[in-house]
Order: sequence, then structure tokens, then C-alpha cells
Amino acid sequence: MHVEPPPLADPLLDTRRRWVTRLLGTTLGATILSFLYPVLRYLVPPVTSEPSLSELELPFKASELAPNSGRIVPFGGKPILVFRTVSGELKALSAVCTHLNCTVQYRKERSDIWCACHNGVYNTDGGNVSGPPPRPLLPLEVNVRGDKIVVRKV
Amino acid sequence: MRGFLRALAGLALAAPLAVIALGAPAPRLAPPAAAAPVNQCMECHLSLDDDTFTPPAKAFRKEDVHAKAGFTCANCHGGDPTQEDMDAAHDPKKGFIGKPTHQQIPQVCAKCHSDAGLMKQFNPSLRVDELSEYKTSKHGQMLVQGDQHVAECASCHGAHGILPIKDTRSPVYPTRVAKTCNTCHGDTALMASYHLPSDVYAKYMTSVHAKAMYEKGDISAPTCNSCHGNHGATPPAVSSVANVCGTCHSVFAEKFKQSAHSRAFADMGLPGCVTCHGNHDIVQPTEEFLGTGPTGKCGSCHEKGDRCDVATTAMHKDIVALRTRIEAAHRILDTASEAGMEVSKQKFDLTNAEEALTKARTDVHELQLAAVRKDADEGLAVARAAEAAGHKAMAERDYRRRGLLLSLFLILSAIAALLYKIRG
Amino acid sequence: MSAKSEKPPGFRQRTLEAIGWEGVSHFAEKKDVPVHRSMVFYYLGGMALFLFLVQAATGILLLLYYRPSASESYESVQYIMAEVPFGWLIRSIHSWGANIFVGVVILHFLSAYFEKAYRPPRQFTWLSGTFLLFLAFGFGFSGYLLPWNTLSYFATKVGTDVPAQIPWIGPLLSRILRGGSDVTGATLSRFYGIHVAILPATATVLLGIHLYLVQLHGMSVPPKIEREGSVRRMKFFPDFLLRDMVGWLTAVALLAVLCVFFPWELGKKADPFAPAPAGIRPEWYFLSMFQALKYFPATIAGIPGELFGIVGFGVIGLAVLLVPFLDRKAVEGRSSPWWNRIGALFIVAALVLTVLALLPQPGTAAAP
Repeated sequence: MHVEPPPLADPLLDTRRRWVTRLLGTTLGATILSFLYPVLRYLVPPVTSEPSLSELELPFKASELAPNSGRIVPFGGKPILVFRTVSGELKALSAVCTHLNCTVQYRKERSDIWCACHNGVYNTDGGNVSGPPPRPLLPLEVNVRGDKIVVRKV
Repeated sequence: MRGFLRALAGLALAAPLAVIALGAPAPRLAPPAAAAPVNQCMECHLSLDDDTFTPPAKAFRKEDVHAKAGFTCANCHGGDPTQEDMDAAHDPKKGFIGKPTHQQIPQVCAKCHSDAGLMKQFNPSLRVDELSEYKTSKHGQMLVQGDQHVAECASCHGAHGILPIKDTRSPVYPTRVAKTCNTCHGDTALMASYHLPSDVYAKYMTSVHAKAMYEKGDISAPTCNSCHGNHGATPPAVSSVANVCGTCHSVFAEKFKQSAHSRAFADMGLPGCVTCHGNHDIVQPTEEFLGTGPTGKCGSCHEKGDRCDVATTAMHKDIVALRTRIEAAHRILDTASEAGMEVSKQKFDLTNAEEALTKARTDVHELQLAAVRKDADEGLAVARAAEAAGHKAMAERDYRRRGLLLSLFLILSAIAALLYKIRG
Repeated sequence: MSAKSEKPPGFRQRTLEAIGWEGVSHFAEKKDVPVHRSMVFYYLGGMALFLFLVQAATGILLLLYYRPSASESYESVQYIMAEVPFGWLIRSIHSWGANIFVGVVILHFLSAYFEKAYRPPRQFTWLSGTFLLFLAFGFGFSGYLLPWNTLSYFATKVGTDVPAQIPWIGPLLSRILRGGSDVTGATLSRFYGIHVAILPATATVLLGIHLYLVQLHGMSVPPKIEREGSVRRMKFFPDFLLRDMVGWLTAVALLAVLCVFFPWELGKKADPFAPAPAGIRPEWYFLSMFQALKYFPATIAGIPGELFGIVGFGVIGLAVLLVPFLDRKAVEGRSSPWWNRIGALFIVAALVLTVLALLPQPGTAAAP
């Protein structure tokens, strides 16, 4: 078995070797730090809320939603209609019209839900009352915690 | 003892049988002949095997909704369905009319279909005013005058294999109405005699309504009867066009009615919406309809440079500006998305701009520049924000690439140091 | 390295003695690597190990944010890609790294095969290594489902349909794999458990055995080179290790470029009720088997044709495991060209089948 002969004991070579080793150590150290930086940043969770898209906390307070009014909010990439009925009950429905996918709106004057595209009308339970929509709007579960509204897929 | 036991065994075996025999109900007679009425007409006509007389009988027996409800040939043709003898069956004293004439058919159908009390026994929600409606239609009026070609009940509904209108095979199921009307209205020679065009079906099939029905599968989309009526089929009067279109396009109709055009068109006898949008070949409208240019619809009444032309040109400009801004935002968001950036929320926010664009296009019918401008400005704000978000995402991408460059530099210098060490 | 000194043992010396450093460093000093024209293949084992560690590290980091449920897994991956700082980097390293890792493991396996490294005393190194290869495929298959997008859902559906063909135990096997009769959230939970616990535990044990045996027997020298005479050797520490590190850093650089320019896509969330999109296929390392199965007729003498394919794969797998016991000539130190030819044939067949699988299938839209 052959082994590499030991390096010559030359002081100049020795110094150079030491510097090469130091260079190696430095560059490797810097590289490893550059790997550690993203890992450490990754460990700190971001400020925005959890990714759950079966549940959403609304960006406005429950007290800010007056009776007989509604608002459109994005949820899971699609619009939903969050509204308060005349009697004060808080409800949420999918806002995607079941006819041709326009976004519906809450209609104060008649306390119902209306699609401006082809005059589709829904009641506050989401049922398709008149016009072309073939199916009702799907409901969502609404929970109130203090002044926070949390909407959840049924 | 053994004998007693045998008797006991025999009793034990016989007892259950006796119980069954005594408890069993008397054997049933044949089920009561309730549903199937006597229809000797069928027996005879089917066995004739004749090209004229057998097919109607076959069709009636196969799937006719009247046959299923228990009606016989005699309910329409008269005569006595219980008689085997032809003369007895075809007795005019029993109401036999044979094959009804063209003119007779509406009365034959209306005998039942205008009788509310009768129809209620079968389908209470069916209307009973078809005949009175039909009499108001062009078809009805000409039939009374003796026209032999014009449509009556059987022309559209069939005569013997009549299916309910909700059955997809019925000639008047929504997806089949246009073809059914076209059997006459597409016949050039026939239509020429009435001075009517025969290309209506072809035109309709190019329309957005036909696309909605046949490509998107929306059976609530308008077809011939939606605008012309079912039985009272007449083209809408020029003054009522906006009302008819407005049954679905309510927002547009309302805005149109508020606009200056509503009165002007009425005064000039112009057919409302049809003036700009056409009646059968209604295609996807664009902002190019605006103005007095080559694609504009305004030039037939307006002069280039007049007050209205200036306004519509401004509307066109606003809408085009919004549209191009939205497209630019889409492009940069798509580029960012393809470069690996997560921009689904920003894309969602852009849909608000698209809704503003739709609103602006709707407002055009009001013919007020201020309304259009308001919506366009709202949309522009959203589109600009989305574009900015797209730029931000691209900046993040560039940041990543710069970070990569730095780490690559470090890695490569480490590799170089290693190689140097290895050499050494 | 520990010199006997007259002074009483200091902290350093006590620590080194306590952990048995003397023995380890003695072994490390002696550990060497043969130097010859085929030595480049020696780097593959270390590369595979390095990449495995990268997978383990990025996998553990992903565990901190990933949620294994059908209603949340896609969204959690989206969150990692969009919101978590450098989440896109960790996730992309894991996805790209997985593919590179499997590729390197396959190359390592092929080099051991063709250089006949399986000859005694290394037959159990080969055995443990082949099992590790199968584990690598298992990691790939189970991990692929976890993002719960359309491609991964349907690829898993197709993939778990295959074992169902095996008679008697097939349907049961498929049920155990899927956690039910269909691919559902239960499958996701199960694959998650397999991917983060069962396979890592098994891999740790097998890897421990494999690495121990490698230290025990050292690197194998290809028979042809052995026959030429004795071979020069290079010290593992530091010489070979430095060269190893060049390779590892190059791999890291490659991964970094891939992740920045081609971040791993999210796809669309899986919808079990939507029809399968055209051109569904598994990951590239399964493509040759996937394509091969298509060529079997629907039935052969009343038995499903695919079954013959599956049995065929089983036989090939078994043969691979038993190569050290089957290749008598290599064991005796003689050349065994037929084994080389069969190996080359399999490689060509696998490449051709893979290319065929990638072409647009007739009657469907171009494969994604």
C-alpha cells in the first residue's frame, strides 16, 4: 500500500500552505454562513395569519357591519358576501353567481341578493328566487368572537 | 307410546302448514285493468304495416306523453276506439274527423289544452291560453286566412310521438327550438313567398346567445321563443325591443331608458337595442362600437365631431385606457407568477378592476361621459395598484437573483480554495 | 494524536479519552481510497449521502409549516412559497434536490454494478444498498403526493392502482397504501407518515449498516484494474474529502441556480371530482416502468396483462438483490461480460421507454 510521502519541510511552502488553509477555512465559513442566513430567517414565522383557507378572520369588525348591508370579501381566491339581515343576523354566502359567475351584491332596497349581469335574484338564505341562476349560493359558517367575525367553509 | 309420539310428530309437522294455509289470503285475480284503455285503433293500424298508417301508431305507442297519460287515438281523431270494425270505429257520428286539416289542428289540441278543469287533472301548472295566444301570432292569423304552410301546434310539437317540453328529445326543448323554427324559416323558397329572410338561423348561431346555449350549456340563454314568444310568436314591436332585451339585461335597459337615445329612437321609429346590437346576429360588443369611425355604430345618425361624437370618443378613450392598464397588470403578474413568485392574491384584487370595466361598459348605455369616467377611474386605481404589486414581485425576483449571485460567488471561491488546497 | 505527557491529563485529553477519540482518529488516519482511472465513481456514494442529508434538513424545515390534511396541505405549501421568508428556497431545494438525489443514487447503483463492487466481501453492502435504492423510490413516490396538487393526486391514483392487480394480496395492499379504497385525505396522512417517519427510520438503519460495511471493507477496486497489479492509494482525510467537498459545493451551486430560475411550481389544488387531465404520468424515475406496463395486452389467458408486467418487475428486483450470489464469475475474479451486456441492455431499454413515455400520447393533448 503506497502512501503519499510527507511534504518537504520547507518554511516558505509551509507559510503558503498555512495561508491556503486559512483561505479555505474563511471561504468555507462564509459559505456556511450564507446557508445559515436563509435558514434562520425561515424559522421566524411571518406576521400574516395562518394559511388556513377553510377559515378566515374578516378584516372588519362585527360592529362595523350595519343591519341590511353587506360586503364582498376574498376567501380562498373567490369572493364571498358577508351581510347582516334586517333583523340583525350575520350571514355569509358564496358571492359567485351560479349562472355565469358574476359577483353578486346585497341589495338594500329589497333586502335580497342580486346579480347585475342578468338580473338573477337570491334570497338571504342563498336560494335562487328568480332569473337565470340554476342553483342557490352556497352558505358559509359564520362565528363571532367578541368583535371579530370568523368565516368558515361549511 | 310410539304411536302417540308418531301422532304428535305428525301434528307438529302439520300445524305450521295449516297455519300457513289458513292464514294465506285467497289467490289474487288478475290485476285490475286500470291504466291501459281500450285502443283498437292501434291494433288495426299496427297490423296494417302501411307506410302512411303504421308509423303514427308506432310513434304514439312508443313514447307519446298523451299515450302515457291514458289517452287514445280517438281523443284527437274522434271515433270509437273500442270498435274492431273499421266503419264502426271511424263513425263520424262518434266525432271521427280522420286526419285533421291544417286549419283544424289548433282546435283539436285546444279541445283539451284550453280546458283548465281537464288540464288540472294531469298537470296543474300547464298553461291553458295557448290557443288564444296563438290567435294573436302571425302564424295564427295566416292560418285563419287559409295559409297551408304556416306553423300550427303539430309543426313544432309533433303529432304522434309528442314529448314533454322538459324532455331533451322534444323539438321544443331549449337547445332544439332554433332548429325546429329553422325547418320553415330556413327554407329560402318558402320564406321568399312571405318576403322573409331565410338566414336567421345562420345569423343566430353566430351570436353570443347561441354560444351561451350551445358552447357553455346554459339552457336559460335566449333562443327564438325567448324574444318572439312561444305561441303568440310575433317579432317584438319596435317600441318594445328594449323591454324584451331588458327582461335579462335589466341594468342596460334601465340605463338606456334614462338616456337621450330612448326618446330619440322612439321618435325615429328605431328598434331600441337592435339599432346597434342587431337582432339575430348579436355578437360580443366592444368599445369599438362607440364613435363615428368605421367600426362605430353612431355614424349612421351622428356627424363626426358633433357633441355626441366628442363624448363617445372620450368614453372610448377611457375604456380603452382601463382595458390596456388591466392587460398590462395581468401581463406583469403572469410574468412574476411564471418566474415563481406567488401572486395569487394580487391577481384576485385585479378582478375588482375588471368589474369596474364591466360597469363602465354598462354605463355607456346611459350616454353620460361622467358616469363612464367615474367607473373607469376607479378601475384604473385598482389596475395601477395591481401593476405596482407585479413590479414589487419582479423586484423580489431580482433580489433573489442578486442573492444567488452572492452565494454563487462564495461557493465558487470556496471551490477555488479547495482546488488550490488540493493542488498544494 | 494523544501524546503521553508527564503533566496530569487536562480537560481536552480527558474529553478525548471519554469519547474514545484515539480509536476513531487512528481509523481515520488509515482510511484510504484506491487511485485509478475509474476512481471518479467513488464520489457518487458521498454525493448521495450529502444530498440525502440536504433532503433531511430541508424536509425537517418544511415540517415546521406544512400541514398534512386534504383541506390545508396545498394552502400550506402556497404559504411556504409566498409568505414564509426563504420558504420558496427551502421548498424548491427539497423538490429539486429529491430529483437530483434519486438520479445520483441510480448512478451510484449503476457504477457499483458495472464495476462489480458487489463481489465478496461486499455482498451485504450491495444488498443494503439495493434496499436503499428502493427506499429512495419510496421517498419520491410518497413525497410527491404531499403538495396535494392535480398532478400529484392523479399520479398517485394511477400509481396505487398498479399493486391492486396482484392476485390475492393486491387489493389489500392497495387498501393499505391508500388508507381506504380511493386516494383521499387518508392517503395523504398515510403517505405523510411514511415519508417523514417510516422511511427515514428504515433508511437510517439501512444507511448505518451500509456505511459501517463500507468503512469495514473500504472501496472496491474494479476487477480489470485489480488484475493489472497493486494500486496507489490516497488518504481519505483530508485529500479525498477535499475532493468530495468540491463535488458537494458544485451540487449546492447547481441547486441554487435551479431554485432561483426555476422555482418549483404549486400547480392547481387537487379536485378529486374533476376528470383526470390528459397526460398524467409519474415522476421521471418511474416512467420506464409506467410505459412498459402499457405494452401488455389487457388480458393474457384470462389474467390481467399488467400483472405479468408487475411480476416481471418483481423478478427483476429480486435478481438485482441477488446479483452477488448469481454472478459466479465475478466472485471468482474472472470477467463476466454477459452481466455487463444485460446491464447495458436494461439501461438502453429504460432510456427508450422513458423517452417514449414523455412523447405526447396519441389521442390526448400534449403531455404537460
